[in-house]
Amino acid sequence: MKDEIRQFLFDSLTAMNYSTEGIDDDTTLGPSGADLQSLALAELAVRVEDQYGVQFSDDESEMLAGMTVGEFAELVASRVQASSTP
Amino acid sequence: MTKSMAVTGVGLVSPVGTDPAEVFDATCTGRSGLVRPAAEHPLHGLMDVAAFSPAIDPVSVLPATEARFVDRSIVMALRAAEDALADAGIEVGRDVDPHRIAVVVSGVGGLALFEEQANLQASRGRLGVSPYLLPGVLPNMGAARIAIKFGIRGFTSSVGTACAAGAQSVGEALRILRADEADVVLAGCSEAPLFPTFVAAFGNARALAHGWAEPADASRPFDRRRNGLALGEGAGVLVLERAEHARARGARRYADVLGWGATNDAYHPTTPRPDGTAAAECMRRALRDAEVSATDIGYINAHGTSTKAGDAAELLALGQVYDGGTPPVSSTKGVTGHLLGASGVIEAAICLLALQRGLLPPTHNLEDPSPDSDADHISKEPRQVSVSAVLSNSFGFGGHNVSLVFGNPGEHGHVG
Repeated sequence: MKDEIRQFLFDSLTAMNYSTEGIDDDTTLGPSGADLQSLALAELAVRVEDQYGVQFSDDESEMLAGMTVGEFAELVASRVQASSTP
Repeated sequence: MTKSMAVTGVGLVSPVGTDPAEVFDATCTGRSGLVRPAAEHPLHGLMDVAAFSPAIDPVSVLPATEARFVDRSIVMALRAAEDALADAGIEVGRDVDPHRIAVVVSGVGGLALFEEQANLQASRGRLGVSPYLLPGVLPNMGAARIAIKFGIRGFTSSVGTACAAGAQSVGEALRILRADEADVVLAGCSEAPLFPTFVAAFGNARALAHGWAEPADASRPFDRRRNGLALGEGAGVLVLERAEHARARGARRYADVLGWGATNDAYHPTTPRPDGTAAAECMRRALRDAEVSATDIGYINAHGTSTKAGDAAELLALGQVYDGGTPPVSSTKGVTGHLLGASGVIEAAICLLALQRGLLPPTHNLEDPSPDSDADHISKEPRQVSVSAVLSNSFGFGGHNVSLVFGNPGEHGHVG
């Protein structure tokens, strides 16, 4: 699941015209890494919600810029698993 | 301080080209920018004739990550601004303090992209709408993105007066420069109205030219057989500059904006006041502001959209300003189509070249002027005659009237 979500993130970045060259699990999403700014992070969150049904609280949305790709993929994976567990 | 201001740069995106000389030549030769939307085009069946401007890759004016989600009107505004600044030889920071350059670039906004997103919202709900939508469509975003791209930190704004917006942007630029709030102003307008909802609205309001076998025949201002306007898209940006600032940096000068006037018909949301009185007063205000007399005007570029009511009202207005015969008059919308607010800026550029070249473009397709008036219509062929001042009209839905007066530098008692 985490691998699939990571690939979805990479595909989303490509669709949003961001280069994925040199980006890995340790790359932060925000200015010090992949350099996604506020609207780009918001769009990424919308794409994830649309694909996986996962929503983020206001507090979580503010933390996205500081998360790494790996941390974000882990967060989404855990939410997907939690929602599918009866 | 002198009241007139220099125009030192022009940037155009139009159905007859992007080079100002090319656009002017088209108005003189009758090379039409009107076509019938192809069978596979979304507008096919909604309109008989359209005026498309050249395609522009958004990545050529914006970073790739932002270019993906902006309306075409913003892309055209950026291209026109870039070309105008290059034409003026201005680099912000080098040639003008970033706080001393202003932007007034207008338009109805990115309605086409909004329509697309509205359709997605209707079919997919909230998740179909992009977070990038608002900065991609708001009517101020042409001006704002120009400021962002070129590092402009002075006054920035967008005017919302429909088909008068482009001309009014030039007038507001004049106001800003006269108030010494800037040394340079980018004044312009960009419109991209060629999308289904907008076109359907115009068509259902019976405003569009229709039934013409040849698209190039459809826009025929002041002609007896006219039956509507030919809707198009485009953009124009002028660089207005205080004369002393232009001289100090050795800038080339097209001509000067001498003055402007603005009134409202106070009549109807779309139909112009039939007696032409408010439009006549608008022209008189522009002449007073420019400190020239009506007889100083050697050419009038009419609003002339090829509608029955609009053209008739403008002729009446001209007759009130000019009792017993007007200066030579033409509408260049016969070849460009009606580009809404952008027309006012593109026609301003045409006026500047008419002054420079001593050549007055004709009204294309004007075969049988109606109604009868004392207007001296230029038809069929351009007229070679040196003139020292010209007037341009732009009238918009909501009864907005704007007239601009242009003149050669150093004439008419203005310090050049």
